[in-house]
Amino acid sequence: MKARELMRRDLTSVEPDTLIHEAIYLMEQAGLSTLPVVDEEGKLVGVITEHDLIHAALPEYFEMLHSISFLPNLNQVQKRLREMAFKPVSDYMKEALSVRLDDEDLHIADLLIRKRLKQIPVVDEEGKLVGVIRRIDILSRLVR
Amino acid sequence: MILTVTLNPTLDKFYWVDRLPLSLERAEEEILIRARKSSSSAGGKGINVSVFLACMGVETVAMGFLAGHTGQIILRDLLERGVTANFVWIEGENRTNITVIEKGKEYHPVKIHEEGPRIPTHAQEIFLKKYRRMLKRAEYVVLAGAIPPGISETVYKELAQEAGRAGVKVVVHAGRRPLWEAVKTGPFFVKPDVREELVVGDMPVRTEEEIIAAGKKAVEYGCQACLISHHVTGDILITPEGIWEYEAEVPLTKFKNLVGADDALVGGVLFRLTKGDDLLEAVKFGMAAALASAEVEPKLCLAPAAIEHEMRTVEVRRKEGS
Repeated sequence: MKARELMRRDLTSVEPDTLIHEAIYLMEQAGLSTLPVVDEEGKLVGVITEHDLIHAALPEYFEMLHSISFLPNLNQVQKRLREMAFKPVSDYMKEALSVRLDDEDLHIADLLIRKRLKQIPVVDEEGKLVGVIRRIDILSRLVR
Repeated sequence: MILTVTLNPTLDKFYWVDRLPLSLERAEEEILIRARKSSSSAGGKGINVSVFLACMGVETVAMGFLAGHTGQIILRDLLERGVTANFVWIEGENRTNITVIEKGKEYHPVKIHEEGPRIPTHAQEIFLKKYRRMLKRAEYVVLAGAIPPGISETVYKELAQEAGRAGVKVVVHAGRRPLWEAVKTGPFFVKPDVREELVVGDMPVRTEEEIIAAGKKAVEYGCQACLISHHVTGDILITPEGIWEYEAEVPLTKFKNLVGADDALVGGVLFRLTKGDDLLEAVKFGMAAALASAEVEPKLCLAPAAIEHEMRTVEVRRKEGS
């Protein structure tokens, strides 16, 4: 099965100059943990994830300790998030892996598993966002 | 690609009942109506046009504002029907529009329409940015339906002007002032919504003469085609080249659900225009799609064979023009 048959034709996305608090609001309202980032032409230029935002808000020594259980409360994280709130998405987005409309399901599943992605954007021949494929989209197809 | 704008999407809920008692015999009674059947689907004029087009295999993107749990249901329904969705999410809850259809009186449904959530200025700015981006991919844009609280009644005029600058053909399927303001920009095709009031602009459209006068006024503004309902099974098309009457001899008792029939008409016209038909033939197909939709219980008839069958019942007569 090809990406065009698997994808959700949902173009919910943000732009690089969208503010972080707006992106978080959109994630909450739309129930998404990953948002594609597109430029003015609608071309995919990155992704911003809930996971990346959480990590950016955590103290730098978190990477060494691998736990936040040592924190007395979430005040420090909240302070950091409030500092991030009015910064643009471009400061925190990362390069997006994507698939093309005619890519096969095996290739897409491989990317999702290997790269530990919750979803992957689908782009057309010009690199414009045309949909997304979530892990659950593949799972639900396979179980039928 | 055909872009549709539905600023005030809805979850359309339909209830079919055997009897619809609307008054009490005794003061202490309450009215309990048991629905024989019910269904719900994503709605709003632009969304209905998109659903129709997607089912006919035409690439279409639906835009507007979604909110809350109802917004999630609308989005899910659209995606399942093959419509590409590009909505702005806002706080609150999308509206639910209820239609109660009584057995034997299908052509007189009872409707309750909610107002819809207020659209914040910031969300409108995000929408405009997305809209300009999507116009670059579009051949036609359909501006359709009610305007939600918080949005100016001149919004369709502004969106039509943006589309004009981008070289995209504009279809306006709305009513009252939002429609007439957009008409002044000279859109490609106009289908006035006259369900609530038989008025187009400030002109009444009760009689054939009044309909033609209103259509001619739209054409004077640069509109290339204006299609106005004359009665349930008859429309009048006014263009710079002439005037045509579309008529179908279908008894009202044949209708099962009139909601969405007008949207099937607009979808049908666009479907055939994208296939290379001329406007007259495309309108005939649109009218057949509207009749086929009215004759089935689901909101839209999506069976090409049934629509083709209805083509035989639609007669076209030239009224004016060479």
